[in-house]
Amino acid sequence: MEVDLLPGAERAPAMRGSPALEVRGVSKAFVGRAGETTLALADVDLDVQRGTFVSLVGPSGCGKSTLLRILGGLEQPSTGEVRSAARQTTSGLPAVAFVFQDYGLFPWLNVVENVAFGLRMAGVGKRERHQRARAWLDRLGLASFERSYPEQLSGGMRQRLSLARAFVTDPEVLLMDEPMAALDAQTRLLLQEDLVRLWEETKKTVVLVTHSLDEAVLLGDRVVAMTARPGRVKLDLPVELPRPRDAGTVTGTAFSHLKATLWTALRDEVRRSLEHS
Amino acid sequence: MTGTAAGAGDAIDTAVALLRATQRRRRRLEASLAVATPVSLLALWQAAADLHWVDPRIFTPPLGIARAAGQLISSGTLPSDLAATLARLTVGFVIGAAGGTAVGLLLGVARPLRAALSPLFTALYAIPQIALLPLLLVIFGVGETAKVLTVVAVTFFVLEINALSAVRHFDPRLVEAGRAYGASGTKMFRYVLLPGSLPTIFTGLRVSVALGLVVITATEFVASNNGLGFLVWNSWQLFEPSQMYVGMATIAILGVALTALVSGLERVAVPWVHRRSH
Repeated sequence: MEVDLLPGAERAPAMRGSPALEVRGVSKAFVGRAGETTLALADVDLDVQRGTFVSLVGPSGCGKSTLLRILGGLEQPSTGEVRSAARQTTSGLPAVAFVFQDYGLFPWLNVVENVAFGLRMAGVGKRERHQRARAWLDRLGLASFERSYPEQLSGGMRQRLSLARAFVTDPEVLLMDEPMAALDAQTRLLLQEDLVRLWEETKKTVVLVTHSLDEAVLLGDRVVAMTARPGRVKLDLPVELPRPRDAGTVTGTAFSHLKATLWTALRDEVRRSLEHS
Repeated sequence: MTGTAAGAGDAIDTAVALLRATQRRRRRLEASLAVATPVSLLALWQAAADLHWVDPRIFTPPLGIARAAGQLISSGTLPSDLAATLARLTVGFVIGAAGGTAVGLLLGVARPLRAALSPLFTALYAIPQIALLPLLLVIFGVGETAKVLTVVAVTFFVLEINALSAVRHFDPRLVEAGRAYGASGTKMFRYVLLPGSLPTIFTGLRVSVALGLVVITATEFVASNNGLGFLVWNSWQLFEPSQMYVGMATIAILGVALTALVSGLERVAVPWVHRRSH
């Protein structure tokens, strides 16, 4: 039995350049319990090209997580629209996969069942879905934990598990909401390397929301910086650092320049968000 | 160098063995204390009765109770009373638990239904279920139905409240993860909400099996001519304290056994909760 792990890698380069996600004039307003309205996003335009890695940064509360949830269809925009080439799949599998900050793993399912959850919902048979799940567990060094429950794993292992759960459905687009935020600094470095490697192997379309400018530049082909609430796109910065990248990439001068440019753009926004909260 | 390393390894092994031995000794001591306490209390009771520190006609000593138990077993009274109580409890518990869980889960997912019924159920739960007995006796007469229904009532409300609360306080992040990975509608219910609610439902089962035993015992005190509750009550009226103690002890053992049974089921049904605690 051969498990096709990388169909995306063969498909993506040919179609690279066409947008996987098109965001047009998206705004989002929330109504709170007391009836007060909050404008989280205001008139956001954004294109994400197929097979590229886009990092999304911005001050806390700028609506970047909301934007991600809108991209993934977990939330509807108040105005504007998201066109997603990805959403028109026929396989029954979701074309978009999420990786959450707090992992979002199901405590009642063991490791292999957690990874296979998306496949199960899509009606993939037990044998096949477990085989595919195991292949990804192997790849992320979790093979010997397949019968454990998430509660028995460390934070780093849980996040690897949730990466496996996302990759196993072979999605067109991967949406990651601060996946490293809950990890300690060293584990974080290790997971960033995992993620760089996986991305370079699979060339998925990725949108990563992060607080860390280092992480944004290290991982992204582009870094999109957002303004304080209501969030708009402030800066769209291409990152032309050579790949493959690793932890050593962050020591170069080009890296420092990019980070400085980003910080210049963000500094006022972060200050504004502090003053308003 | 290797000699030093091996020496350090040996020293660690010795230290670990010592820690293990201490741990084992402590566990053995605790286990024997858990048995020794009730045994000494029984011995003290026996001695107090034999030495007439207490009136043995009221405080039948353990050996006397054992003798009475032997008689009640050989005459078939105790087995038939136990069977009667167990049957009422089981039927009432199963009906109440199934109904309460189903209604609670339904109210959890159906908002209008919850608005309509939840406050009413909460108010009804506040009435001690045993207070319903006279009404049930008026409606159904002094038969099995009224007795079983008191157990149904208590079990139903405990499970309804637990199942409803499990769904209402469900971790929204898990619902979101479920949605992101394609669980919607009935799939969301079956693969996310239901398994995630099981621990709270089992808490309800454990609570209500104990409450059910209380309620059926009380019911049998006043509205029955068999069952363990009747045995206790009748022995009191006939001034047969030794039989009364046998009834009380049987009820206690039954309570422990039923709670252990539910806990055992829980370990099988929600193994992830059990493993988490270790």
